[in-house]
Amino acid sequence: MTQSIRSTSGSWARAIAATALVAAIAVPATARAQAAEKHDGHALPAGPIHDRHEIMEDMGRAAKAIGGALKAGKPADAAAPATDIAAKIDDFLKLFPDGSTGHGSRAKAAIWSERAKFDSIGADLEVKATAVADAAKSGGDVKAASNAMFGDCKSCHDQFREPEQGE
Amino acid sequence: MAAVRVLTHVSRVPRPGARPSTAVAPIAFALLVACGLGCGRTSPPGAASGGDAARGAVVFALAGGCGCHTPDGGPPGAGGTEIPTPFGTFHSTNLTSDREHGLGAWSDDEIDRAIRRGELRDGSVESPVMPYYRYAGMSDHDARDLVAYLRTLPASPAANRPAEGELPLPRLAYRAWRLLFAGRTTAPAEAPAAGVERGAYLARHVAICGDCHTPRDRFGVSIPALEHAGVPGGGPLPWAPNVTPDRETGVGDWDESDLSNLLETGFTPEYDNVQGAMAEVVEGKAGAPGYARAPASDRAAIAAWMKTIPAIHRVVRKDGADPAGATAPAATEEKRA
Repeated sequence: MTQSIRSTSGSWARAIAATALVAAIAVPATARAQAAEKHDGHALPAGPIHDRHEIMEDMGRAAKAIGGALKAGKPADAAAPATDIAAKIDDFLKLFPDGSTGHGSRAKAAIWSERAKFDSIGADLEVKATAVADAAKSGGDVKAASNAMFGDCKSCHDQFREPEQGE
Repeated sequence: MAAVRVLTHVSRVPRPGARPSTAVAPIAFALLVACGLGCGRTSPPGAASGGDAARGAVVFALAGGCGCHTPDGGPPGAGGTEIPTPFGTFHSTNLTSDREHGLGAWSDDEIDRAIRRGELRDGSVESPVMPYYRYAGMSDHDARDLVAYLRTLPASPAANRPAEGELPLPRLAYRAWRLLFAGRTTAPAEAPAAGVERGAYLARHVAICGDCHTPRDRFGVSIPALEHAGVPGGGPLPWAPNVTPDRETGVGDWDESDLSNLLETGFTPEYDNVQGAMAEVVEGKAGAPGYARAPASDRAAIAAWMKTIPAIHRVVRKDGADPAGATAPAATEEKRA
């Protein structure tokens, strides 16, 4: 039953075959590697792309704090970060002026072509984040409320954010 | 094959007056041919028949739904997904039960050999774009059940497309590649049942995490010293993050529940969700199952194993500005943490 990949070659065969493969592969592969070394390393310049990136980082930290509160069995601790998310989303939505692309931004064109939909998910996030905070303060079901909120995160990312290069 | 043997024979005889420099290439070529024909033989086929399709669906899910083989929008397994590589642009193949274009006319053993040994029905060797050398360690039982599941994929009439921009003499090149680089992986009859051992087995031979998360050398061979240490963006291969337990550059500050949660929901601890290829293997594509529909115990086993692999300190830039590069381990800034 056991299967394996076996070879019976001697080292000479490997050496010769390697040489032949080098000839076949190395030159084009090297050329491509050099071509691929162009890069767009940069720091984001001041402006809306930078600002919305910062807010998204803050919201990520807040979301992590909510997840941490749930894991630690301290759902009440989710109140502050959830309030933080609810407070930030409005400003975030204002940071997508027409033409604010480039600089590695993963914003999809759909943000502008389907602006109402984009804004409605943002508005819903504020409602859901507020619900998380309320549940945390009142001893409600923070996990369920959080999952509903995280659903908005994913929904918006999937529709309005490009995957990472190659992701 | 007979024609190639003749070519081999002729090439072994130096032409009178041939200069040594011009004689090297045909000799090397001939040896490559001989080597490819004679040295890459594999063991006799195992018994791949009689699998359990229901159990095979779980193997399929743990293999990320064999997502490369499902086009955007489906149907599952119909193939045709474009896979750009430094060695040409490949198109995944049709795995459905269609008799003309899929696997419908293949025997169970033939499908098994294609998955675990990289052998096609005509005896040729697959390009290493298909990571058969990782699946080579899949247990006989799992392979048998996976084959049974693949047979349940509804037939799609999608025709397979040839690769574009392949190497010259691709059949020889792939046979030689297998000989040189595929390694010798022995498959167990049964997979480990639980724990870190099962996680290691699943990650290495079923989910094949390292296939995307490990940089490759100029031959397309995953670099063992950088296994799971990520692939920079901006190069010929897709960006993939460092998933070793390095605290600064990897996922060392994630606990096991963070890791298994990502495999179930696609969410990082910051509740950012993975997109693209990782989302496809988590969620499955076109309704096919992915990691999310695998047993929770298997996701937990992979997570537990991830905490045990070597931490490799290696910055993997998304924009390709990584001074380490994707293909030169000697020049990278990684070190074992």
